Amino acid sequence: MKTGVSRRNVLGKLGAAFAGIMTATAAKTAKAAVQKVFVSSGAPKGYDPTKHKWLMAIDINKCIGCGLCVEACKKENNVPEGPFFRTWIERYVIPKPKPGSFTTRTEAIVDSPNGGMHGFPEPPVPVGEIEQSFFVPKLCNLCEHSPCVQVCPVGATFDTPDGAVLIDPNYCIGCGFCIQACPYGCRFLNPVTKTAEKCTLCYHRITRGLKPACVEVCPSEARIFGDLKNPVPDDPIKKFYENNRVQVLKPHLGTEPRVSYAGMDKEVR
Amino acid sequence: MVRRYAGKIENGKNVNHQENRTFTPRRSFRMPPQIVRLVLLTITIVGSYLVARFFLTPSSFGRYGWYRGEALEELSSRPRSFAGKKACEECHSDECLKLSKAEHHGLSCEGCHGVGQAHADNPDIKIDIRTFSECARCHEANPSRPKWLKQISTKTHYPGQKCTECHVPHQPQEVP
Repeated sequence: MKTGVSRRNVLGKLGAAFAGIMTATAAKTAKAAVQKVFVSSGAPKGYDPTKHKWLMAIDINKCIGCGLCVEACKKENNVPEGPFFRTWIERYVIPKPKPGSFTTRTEAIVDSPNGGMHGFPEPPVPVGEIEQSFFVPKLCNLCEHSPCVQVCPVGATFDTPDGAVLIDPNYCIGCGFCIQACPYGCRFLNPVTKTAEKCTLCYHRITRGLKPACVEVCPSEARIFGDLKNPVPDDPIKKFYENNRVQVLKPHLGTEPRVSYAGMDKEVR
Repeated sequence: MVRRYAGKIENGKNVNHQENRTFTPRRSFRMPPQIVRLVLLTITIVGSYLVARFFLTPSSFGRYGWYRGEALEELSSRPRSFAGKKACEECHSDECLKLSKAEHHGLSCEGCHGVGQAHADNPDIKIDIRTFSECARCHEANPSRPKWLKQISTKTHYPGQKCTECHVPHQPQEVP
């Protein structure tokens, strides 16, 4: 009997299909092997970044300048010794205007000895001449439009769906563009790893249901941390926004920082 | 009249004499060799780029955005050094209860006692004494500190004596 399909034809097509599947499998295996060499893996799973939106806020009225947060951040994140900080405290001292000068405010004197890690020594002006003085904790402002993310030439830094701005240490080439781009000075080049580093909101802690180290140790609850997508009863973040008039740092730059400050003075940049 | 036209006129029609003379059947179009080389080179470059991209693009690229999704898992798998108040409460619930009723209720254990993840993992390992913080760290008088905070000057407030001789850190209002 003669049909349109010959044995040779069918076998040939089957062989071609088999070869195609084998090629695809081989390519996938080869890809996995190549990636194993270039990219390390083996991380825990179970945390879905799309179901969280983390946020930190700072209440300046509550900061006592003890420096525990700075020290905790260094310990938790293995930040090297020296002038490298993921978070730090600034002291603002506004001296009294000179008698007869008719100015309401003089220029603020800002200092941050060793990031405020070991507290603050005597103020730069005598106590009697201080009009106002306060501490301002600084950290990554978690910008909505992050300049640091825009300038990275290798795409190693990115906004995560859960609200953090992170750096992929395997892909960072340490060029330092992001360090120059950050208007808040929140990034530095780690002298050990030679990659850019910054506050990650303690990503390894928040993904396990813990607070960031600085929030954990803060004795006066000046740092407020919460999850906007999963508010808890008496949510501290919600209460913070209900009870305070808030401001962000350098709003004129259009970076739209997500970190808000309560009780901020106009001198704070 | 001088005929300037080079072709022939047959039966009133213009016939190109050249076509007429050297007519050969039209051969299939042949790409000039330099173009062939150019096309092959382009295909090789684009092809090798596509192969390299297939192998070098991380499989998790684009999971959440224009970056390697696995980086999030790698960053979240880093070890911790602070255990958190909940971990302390598992064993030291009595001290935590005392603290929760006193003025110092907002304080975290590790803020004063130091990093405790190693101790929480293995209670035989003591907390590093160097990571302790003293009372004066917060309560030493400083004009920059907010007025609501109770502050003393260790130079004038019973110098040379230990804070714990008169104060109980977990219950600051009580007398030892």
